[in-house]
Amino acid sequence: MNRQRLLNGIVGVFIALLIGAIIMVIQGYNPILTYQALFQYSLFGWYPFATTLKNAVPLVLTGLSAAMAFASGVVNLGQPGQLVMGALFATVGGLYLDLPPALMVLVLSVLAMLGGVLWAGVAAMLRRWFEMSEFIVTLMLNMIADFFTMWAITYPFKDATAYSPMTPQINSNGWLPVIGDFNSSIFFMIVAVAVMWFFFNRWKAGYEWRISGQNSLFARLGGCDIQKNFLGVMLLTGALAGLAGGLVVMAGPHRFIKGLGANYAWDGVMIAIVANNGLMATFLYGLFFSAIQTGALGMELITDVPSEIAQVLQAVLVLVIVASREYLNTTLEKAAARRQARMRQT
Amino acid sequence: MISKWNMNTLIEMRNIVKVYPPNVVALDDVSVDFRQGEIHSIVGENGAGKSTLMKVLYGLTPADSGEIRLSGKAVSFHNPGEAIAAGIGMVHQEIVLIPQYTVWENIVLGVEPLQSFGRLDVAKAQELVRQKIDEFQFNIDVNARVEDISVAARQKVEILTLLYRNVSILILDEPTSVLTPQEIPQLFSELARLRDNGHTILFISHRLEEVLELSDRITVMRKGKKIATVEASQTNRQELARMMVGREILFLSRRTPQPPGPVVFRVENLTLNTPDKRVRLKEINLQVRSGEIVGLAGVEGNGQFELVNTIMGIQQPTSGRIIVEDTDITHAPILERRRKIAFVPQDRGKMGASLSADIVDNAIMTHHRLNERFSLWKGLLLNYAFARHFTDVLADKFAVVMPGRSAPFRALSGGNQQKVILGRELLLNSPFILLDQPTRGLDVGSIEYVHDQILHMRSEGKAILMISADLEEIFLLSDRILVLYRGQLVADIPVEQTSLEEIGTLMLEGRPAG
Repeated sequence: MNRQRLLNGIVGVFIALLIGAIIMVIQGYNPILTYQALFQYSLFGWYPFATTLKNAVPLVLTGLSAAMAFASGVVNLGQPGQLVMGALFATVGGLYLDLPPALMVLVLSVLAMLGGVLWAGVAAMLRRWFEMSEFIVTLMLNMIADFFTMWAITYPFKDATAYSPMTPQINSNGWLPVIGDFNSSIFFMIVAVAVMWFFFNRWKAGYEWRISGQNSLFARLGGCDIQKNFLGVMLLTGALAGLAGGLVVMAGPHRFIKGLGANYAWDGVMIAIVANNGLMATFLYGLFFSAIQTGALGMELITDVPSEIAQVLQAVLVLVIVASREYLNTTLEKAAARRQARMRQT
Repeated sequence: MISKWNMNTLIEMRNIVKVYPPNVVALDDVSVDFRQGEIHSIVGENGAGKSTLMKVLYGLTPADSGEIRLSGKAVSFHNPGEAIAAGIGMVHQEIVLIPQYTVWENIVLGVEPLQSFGRLDVAKAQELVRQKIDEFQFNIDVNARVEDISVAARQKVEILTLLYRNVSILILDEPTSVLTPQEIPQLFSELARLRDNGHTILFISHRLEEVLELSDRITVMRKGKKIATVEASQTNRQELARMMVGREILFLSRRTPQPPGPVVFRVENLTLNTPDKRVRLKEINLQVRSGEIVGLAGVEGNGQFELVNTIMGIQQPTSGRIIVEDTDITHAPILERRRKIAFVPQDRGKMGASLSADIVDNAIMTHHRLNERFSLWKGLLLNYAFARHFTDVLADKFAVVMPGRSAPFRALSGGNQQKVILGRELLLNSPFILLDQPTRGLDVGSIEYVHDQILHMRSEGKAILMISADLEEIFLLSDRILVLYRGQLVADIPVEQTSLEEIGTLMLEGRPAG
C-alpha cells in the first residue's frame, strides 16, 4: 500500500516534469538547462537547500493543518485566515513584549497558535451553537481575517515611518536564529510534523479522529464523542495554520507586511489534496513544491524562462498525481485480473 | 412431461470467466445452457457467482473470457439496453421505480406511446399497460401510485415493465427475499403462467424449498464454479444443500430448553414522533430476560430502524424509557449505553465498521474507551501493542480468516467482516445484546457460525434482542417472538405457541387471521 503510493508519487512527478519539458520546448526554451537551473537554485548546495526548507515551512504547516482536518472529516478551509491571525498575534506580541531570546521565540510561537485557535474556534462555536457548516464559515472568516489584519497594520500598529501598510519590526529577541545557512523555523516544522504524526497515530483521540473521518456514524455508535473530537481537530488545525503565520513573521521580514499571507495557505490545501491527506506525504510534497517555487526564482536569473513556469509545473503536477492515483490502482488491478483469467481458462 | 419443444436450447453460456480486480474469481470457467420455456433456478451461497453470471448475460458486467450464444448466434451485450432489445430482461433485488409515478407511468417510461408534437398519448399508454396486465392476469391497478402499493405489487410492476418491452427471457434476482410468506405463492403462480406462455425464466435464489417447488431445472453454483445442473423432480433439499455448501447442513434448531433469568432490558411506553408529528414508534413495551433470545419480526420499514436508533442513542424518543439492568439510559450519552449494550448493526459498511481502516482499528472500537488495558499515559495514548494482541485473540476466538491484521477491512469477505464485528461486540461482555439482521448477506456456512455464537451467548445468560427479516432465522433461534407493525408491537408469543403462517399474517396485517 505504502510502496504503491510512493511509486504513484515518483511516476507522477516524473510525468509532470516531462509534460513541463514539452511545454518549454513548444515555447522555444531548452528544458534540460531550465531544469538544471531550477534544481541548482533549490536543491544542489547548502544555501539553496536551506532556502527551500525555509520556504517549505508555511506550505507544510498549512498543508498539515488541511490534511489533518480532512482526514478527520472536518472541512477546515480557514487556513488563510488562521495564518494571518497567527501572524498578527505574533507580531503584536513581538512589538510589546521584551523577554530573553529563547523564551521570546517560544512565547511568540504560542501567541501565533493562539491566534489560529481563536479564529478556528469562532467557526467551531458557530457550528456548535447554530449548526452552521464549517465549510462555508471558515471560508468567509478568511475574508474577515484578511481585512481585519489589513486594518490592524494600516491604523493601530502601523510603522509611522513607512509609506505602505506594515508594522514596525518586532523585538529582535523574537527573531528566529539562523544557524549556518539554516533558519531555525525548519526545526519548528520538523517538530510539528513529528508531533502531528504522533497525535494521529498514537493518541487515543487521534484514533477517534481517523475513524470519524472515514465513517463518522461508526465512530459515533462505537462511543466516540463526535462533538469533542470536532472541536479538538478544529482548534488543533487552527493552531497549526496560526503557527505557520507566526513563523513567517519571525523567520522572514520580522514584521507584518501587506500581502504577507500570499498564497501559502491555499498552496497548503492543494498539497494536502495531492497527498491524499497523508501526513508524511504532505511533508514530502510540501518540500517538493517549495523546491519548485524556490528554484524558479533562481532559474529566472540565468535563463530566459519566466518564473511563472513554476506555476505551470505545479498545476501539471497536481493534475497528474491526482489523476494517476486512481488510474494506477485500477490498471494494476485489471492487469492482475487478466492474468488470473488466463490462468483459469487453461 | 417435458415436450420436445421444451428441449430447445435457447441460451448457451460457454466457459465464462470473470475476475473482479485484483484477484477475486467470481466465475471460474462456467458453462450452462437454458432452454426455451423453462423455469431454471440458479442456487448457491452468497458470493457463489449466481448474480455475476446473470449480470454477464444481461450486459451489466463484461466477462473476461468465454462466449454467449442466443438461439445459436454468438452475442455479447455491452449494456442492459442491448439485452432488452434482444429479449432478455432482469429484475434486480432492489426495486428501482419512481415512487411518485403511477404504475402505468413507470411501465411506459422510456418507450412512451406518443401523439403529434411528441405529446404523451395517455389513453393509449394506459390501454397498452392494461392489456399486458390482463394478458398475464396480474392483479394491479394501473392508476395507483407506486409509493402506495405493496412491495409485492412493485415487483409485479418491474416484471410488467420488462414484458411491456416484449422481453421473452426474464431474469429474477432473489425476488422472494423482499416478500412475506403469503405473497410468495402468488408470485410463483404468475411465473408459472409466464412460462406456460412460452417465456423463459431464470430464477436466482438461495432458498432451496422454493426453488424445488418452482423450477423445472436447477443449476447449483459454489465459489464461482458450476457444480451441476439437475432436474428439479429428481433431487431434494438435502442433495442441493450438500452441493451448495460441499457438506451436510442441518436445518434443525439447536436451541436447548433453558429457564430465563431476571429482566435485563426493558422498554416502557416508548414513543417516537417525527418533527412533522408522524408516528414512528407507538407505546412500545418490551422486556428481555437474561438467557433469553427475543426475536423481533416485521416487514422492513415498520419501525425497526427507529427502534434500533432510539435504543442506541442516535435518535431521542418523544416519550418513554429505556432501562438496562435498572439503569435508565433513555437520555444517556452513547458511550454510557455501550457499557451495557453490545450492538451488531445490519449494515456492516455504514454502521459496523470503517471499510478503509485496517482490521486492528475496527476490532478495538468501543473497547478502546471501556477497557483499561488499551490505555497508556493515563488514557491519553492508545496501547497499540495491546490492540494488536487483542485483534489476534479475537481472530483466533472467532475463526476470522484474514490476510494480516494491518489489511484494510474491505479486504475481508462479508462473513469474516461479520465475525470481526460480532467478536468485537461479544467480547464487550455486556449483559444485553442487540442484533440487527445479524446474518444479512452472509453465506450458509457463516450463518451457521453466527447462530452458534448467538446460542452460546444465550447459554451464558445474556439477554438478546434480535431483529430479523428472515422468519426462518427467528424461528430457529428465538424463545419469544415479537411482531412490529406500523410502529406498534402487535404480538408477543412464545415460539412454541405459534407458527410461521401466524407470524407472517401478523407482519402483513397487524392482527391474527380470521
